[in-house]
Amino acid sequence: MHEFDVVVVGGGLAGLRAALEAQKTCDVALLSKVHPIRSHSGAAQGGINAALSETDSWDAHAFDTVKGSDYLADQDAVDILCREAPGRILEMDRFGILFSRTPDGKIAQRPFGGAGYPRTCYTEDRTGHNLLHGLYQQSVRAGLKVFEEWFVTRIVVTDGSVQGLIAYHMPTGEVAAFKAKSLVLATGGYGRIYAKSTNAVINTGDGTALAIRAGAPLMDMEFVQFHPTTLLGSNILISEAARGEGGQLLNADGERFMSRYAKSSMELAPRDIVARSIQTELNEGRGVGGDYVHLVLMHLGEEKIKSRLPGIREISIEFAGVDPVSKPIPVLPGQHYSMGGVAVGCDCRSELLGVYSAGESSCVSVHGANRLGGNSLLETLVFGMIAGRNASEDSKRKNTGEGLEEARKQQERRLEDVKSGHRKERVADIRTEMKRTMTDSFGIYREEKSMLAGLSKLKLLDKRQANAGIDDHGHEYNQAVVRFLELENMLLVAQTVALGAIARRESRGSHFRTDFPKRDDKEFLKHTIVRIGKGTLELSYKPVRLGRFPVKERTY
Amino acid sequence: MRFKILRSDRGGANPRYESFEIRLTPGMSVLEALFAIQDEHDDSLAFRYSCRGAVCGSCAMSINREPRLACRTQVADISNARSLGLTQFKGLTREKPWDKNMEVLIEPLPNLPVERDLIVDMTRFFVAYKKIRPWLDEDEDRKSLSTMMPEEVSKVEKYANCILCAACFGACPVCEKDSAYVGPAALSWSYRFFDDVRETKRSEKLRIAGEKDGVPGCEFIYNCVKVCPKNVAPALAIRNLKNQLDSKI
Repeated sequence: MHEFDVVVVGGGLAGLRAALEAQKTCDVALLSKVHPIRSHSGAAQGGINAALSETDSWDAHAFDTVKGSDYLADQDAVDILCREAPGRILEMDRFGILFSRTPDGKIAQRPFGGAGYPRTCYTEDRTGHNLLHGLYQQSVRAGLKVFEEWFVTRIVVTDGSVQGLIAYHMPTGEVAAFKAKSLVLATGGYGRIYAKSTNAVINTGDGTALAIRAGAPLMDMEFVQFHPTTLLGSNILISEAARGEGGQLLNADGERFMSRYAKSSMELAPRDIVARSIQTELNEGRGVGGDYVHLVLMHLGEEKIKSRLPGIREISIEFAGVDPVSKPIPVLPGQHYSMGGVAVGCDCRSELLGVYSAGESSCVSVHGANRLGGNSLLETLVFGMIAGRNASEDSKRKNTGEGLEEARKQQERRLEDVKSGHRKERVADIRTEMKRTMTDSFGIYREEKSMLAGLSKLKLLDKRQANAGIDDHGHEYNQAVVRFLELENMLLVAQTVALGAIARRESRGSHFRTDFPKRDDKEFLKHTIVRIGKGTLELSYKPVRLGRFPVKERTY
Repeated sequence: MRFKILRSDRGGANPRYESFEIRLTPGMSVLEALFAIQDEHDDSLAFRYSCRGAVCGSCAMSINREPRLACRTQVADISNARSLGLTQFKGLTREKPWDKNMEVLIEPLPNLPVERDLIVDMTRFFVAYKKIRPWLDEDEDRKSLSTMMPEEVSKVEKYANCILCAACFGACPVCEKDSAYVGPAALSWSYRFFDDVRETKRSEKLRIAGEKDGVPGCEFIYNCVKVCPKNVAPALAIRNLKNQLDSKI
């Protein structure tokens, strides 16, 4: 049995930052199903927000964030996010991140959607890559113990207090117990429950599913961000930075249609609004070739495209055969970010003693019903650090490791069972049907009848999953087992999204109901909570922590 | 299209070529084809993946005898893709020929031990990377944001674009014959920090890069430059390090 003070699950930015913090005082292990630098944080492009300028303020940043969230964010959490931002940028500068610079050598900042000031710091359009490698390099320097290619299958809790976890070692097939006084779940989002997603293939909501199974409730799961501009075909992200630098959206008639939806902010309205606008254009037959719109950068000129958006250009050429210097990029909306996650407070504590969460897998909530671009990278660093600090305080706690060995044996038997059975049905088929169901019934536009049918379908798929099996009986790098376990997680998470969406009979931020198109503050200015009670998913609600920004109608 | 894949069991045992017929969809990448094989034909086919968008560096493998990222290689283009013109070595050529017009040949990345199928053991690659101390040793007393001219950023950012996919390592003839050589990616990272104006331990970085298993090993064959999916050009970084080392003598 492995034994640590703190075990961090997930090697992206939030996990690495948490681990670095906890490492200062504790014995820490970081477990990840991939090598840390393969984490999805590295795919973030546009930037990270911080009020650095004398003419900007963290208060203004907080206001933009709260308004962008459609007032569902908890304002005390948003204050922490925005107040801590400049400090985290300084830290990243000291860690060697190559932020792009102004001609006089200061950290450059670009405008981003929903922001009243250009406060997005960036490294070209590869900000996530630079931050992830920089932070990983600092973790190497700090001698952090990393357990790569370990897939966590269970959190072990006795009497409401965490004892550790059970994990499956992908290279060997070993099932091992990790005793820990506290856990930090930093496993990213659940985007892959959708068919069209910018997310990495690995973003299957594992930590989210682990948490709810262990008894920690999830929050605001129905709030799923659809990014306005994903590349036709592969749905790879085309950063908001493209619009921040001046890119324009045109429909089949060559019309700059955002003027009809967000007259003053145009392409730089928040993501929920731009995504819905594009979807409306497509639904009403003004899409190019029926299913996409044009993102035009040509007028920016070759030099600006090459210096500010080289990654976008590379992606467009390699994955769509289009050079934005001379041709418009074909784009359409796609799932991008999971606002919901493990319900935690500003201290990153979940309801379970010793279980913390940070980053996209958590819901603090700083993003509410719609996240602003540039705030997710920031959240990983700010709350990753807080989670690491608080988790290390638990190292004084005594834990017996009770139930760990029994849970390990049980997981070992379960995985043997999965490996030895012959499949009655293909895991891949169930996965495909789940993705289609989520995209069709719980996408940009939602409506009760379709959602109810979608939920029934998900329940059916869940039953079919119980009979699905795999053919690979091997122990080393048996990826079929991993994909089977991931699908189990996704099916559970998908049902929490569905339940929350059906019950929320209003439209707020990313959650848009065609049957209830207005925001309803009287009934629904509250967080959705979902937990497993007596074998079924149960919904409840929790008040939003409001603050100095009064709830207003949201116009751009 | 037929995919001819070099498969093996634990530790690379029982190597064999297996072929799979895949129906191509428009714009299909080699990685998508591998997923199609896993989903429709054989779920035991093992390969690493994550982002599918050429940023995570998981899926470097040998495709038609050239190290490439599977995700950014289009199947439709591969048979008439321009050859990278690599200097050949044993690990890259192996024995069996294949029919380039009818098949796509997929093999694990050379120069690293095979774990299973297309998965290689990256230990040697990461040990080398860690050896060169790949981090910025910052000024710990600095309490304010640094000032860095755009040209000071741009001269090193190209090297910071490395995604550690190890395509260069797999394409390097020196990595095959000299098991101690740290390889192109590690040295490229060394230069990236050495030439950062914020770095406080430049001479230490240079000293480590200049050890026997470092810069002196490079024969400037330039396979690393040819295969790099992010245009990092590791050999140029090594050349710059070599010039620095030579000027010190």
